[in-house]
Amino acid sequence: MAALQLLVNGVALGAAYALVALGFVLVLNATSAVNFAQGDLVMAGGLLAVALAPLIPLPGIALLPVVLALMAGLGLLLALAAYLPLRRRPPVSVFISTIAIGIILQNGAAILFGPEPRAAPPLFGDATLYIGGLAVPEQSLAIVGVAALLIGLQQWVFARTQLGRRLRATAQDPEMARACGVPVTAMILVTFAIGAACAGAAGLLLANRYFVTPTAGGDLILKAYIAVTIGGWGSVPGAVVGALLIALFEVGVSSVLSYPMALGALYLTLLAILVLRPQGLFGEAVRRRG
Amino acid sequence: MRRALPLLIGLLAASSCLSSGARADDTLSFPVLVPLTGFLSLEGTSQRNGAVLALKQTPAGVAIASEVVDTGTSPEAAVTALERAAGRGTVGAVAASMLGTQMLAMLPLAQELKLPLVTVSGTASITEQGNPWVFRFFPGDAVTKAAHARYVVEELGKRQPAVIYQTTAYGQSGKTHLDAAFKALGVTPVFEEGVDPAAKDLLPVLTKALAAKPDVLVLHLHSGPTALLLRQAASSGVAVPIVAGSAMHQPSTAALLEPAELKGVCAETAASPISGDTAEVKAFTEAYRAAFGKEPDAFALGQYDGMTMVLEAVKAGARSPDAIAKALSAESFKGLAMTYKSDGKGNMAHSAVIVCYDGASRVPALVKRYDDPTLAVK
Repeated sequence: MAALQLLVNGVALGAAYALVALGFVLVLNATSAVNFAQGDLVMAGGLLAVALAPLIPLPGIALLPVVLALMAGLGLLLALAAYLPLRRRPPVSVFISTIAIGIILQNGAAILFGPEPRAAPPLFGDATLYIGGLAVPEQSLAIVGVAALLIGLQQWVFARTQLGRRLRATAQDPEMARACGVPVTAMILVTFAIGAACAGAAGLLLANRYFVTPTAGGDLILKAYIAVTIGGWGSVPGAVVGALLIALFEVGVSSVLSYPMALGALYLTLLAILVLRPQGLFGEAVRRRG
Repeated sequence: MRRALPLLIGLLAASSCLSSGARADDTLSFPVLVPLTGFLSLEGTSQRNGAVLALKQTPAGVAIASEVVDTGTSPEAAVTALERAAGRGTVGAVAASMLGTQMLAMLPLAQELKLPLVTVSGTASITEQGNPWVFRFFPGDAVTKAAHARYVVEELGKRQPAVIYQTTAYGQSGKTHLDAAFKALGVTPVFEEGVDPAAKDLLPVLTKALAAKPDVLVLHLHSGPTALLLRQAASSGVAVPIVAGSAMHQPSTAALLEPAELKGVCAETAASPISGDTAEVKAFTEAYRAAFGKEPDAFALGQYDGMTMVLEAVKAGARSPDAIAKALSAESFKGLAMTYKSDGKGNMAHSAVIVCYDGASRVPALVKRYDDPTLAVK
């Protein structure tokens, strides 16, 4: 029963991590840029929900559309400030600029909200359901449900819509996409907006059960980075699976070993994957000709 | 007239310089150099607020000035801030960062500049450097953890504690002193495990701790992890008592939990201003709320007491950093949290309290006070 309980917690945590990793990998695919502000965008989403809660005294699920919209706007600003002016510079310029934006977000949040940990409102309710001796918080179920819905919606947009096709074309080959009439710059802006909206949703999902502080983003970006590396650099399903694996290590393996040992085991697993399957679990192997 | 005008302007400028120079000479400066951003911003903000509140009490006949500088979390920023502050007028004493690594970096410079550093840093080694310019107005882990262990063993009668601590320097230090205190009391923990502050779910460590059949859970965690573990313990129906570290006394930690989730939870701390056991502490709490719109914690009160002792020295005639340092080293001061007296190394605070929550409110009650708890466990 304890193992099942841990599994429930691990899946809920993994679902939220998956949204973080998903936003990260979308921007990576579209721009080849690593957005180091992604973790801080999660923090911003969580604090946005905290700020909105007194204004919209409804369950957290009612805040979700507002958080998604505002965070999409923040993503656009991020692209305009930290990516577009530097897109023709070496990739390290964008790394640094997103780190800078992350620091600005952290300190801006500390000034606006103070340094205290905060909790966002629960998505539906904060009751705990008891199913055959298993305690399942409603928030955990809601996290899994909302994350699955958002990931599914995003996959549908990418696979089935004209916008999705344009976004994928931009991600695969921006020059060719531009030659085919795809508004590449607009698509990059949309990608940043979707990535930030994913981060905001993750922030809303995590901030009730696990709280949020202005400096909370640093750990999340590391987890997103590892998830994407495990899953396959650039693979969307890989990012989701990688995020679930991290959460299961964090919750499942640490229940057998200790938390520091579980982290060590996670990094050893990552190392093994990089040695045995450098392209990650879902990545495609690319070989040079000649 | 043409000759007289420049002369007049020159005389006016000279007198202006002289008067400002005189003002500069008469004014004692008390810079507040604390971490307001970064991972210690919660505690650093409390420290800043406590210092600022104290510095509003200008001693009669003495002009004081103060500026707040955010040191972030890097030692370099703290040293730079101290250097800059020292270059601006006569500094009486510095409200210095509670971050141990920043204090360790500032200490040699403080010795060189001969400036007293007044802090609430918990890092044990800052008062082990043989530096006479550091004054710590917060009990170190040797004091608070002795009280923590004594309450568990002597008051609750528990002899099988499960200790869950943070893997940070803060957590390791607390764990070391808890181990020593329990050992001195003849108790060996049945479970001990460190948790990274980034851990999102604490159910695994809680499950393992309970599997060791403890009769009490002893926590030494930062604010967020403390609240998270208590929430998970409450939802898991944990029946064993919980005695937490000082993060639990912080109103911002209690604010994350429903009062029912806090029922029966106790915590060690230096003081709990919101519990307001005296009229003076109640007045401090009201003044703090009015000034900052939030609830004070022990860090704020410790820094407030420290700067108040500095100002008392100024009132008594100390007009230089050297004179203030001598007063801090030699005098005893009855502050709001406790009576402070240097042990010869700059450790001024030697008391700790235990607070407990009744499950009906987020304001804890003071249930036990320990003065010099280390003496009893040796």
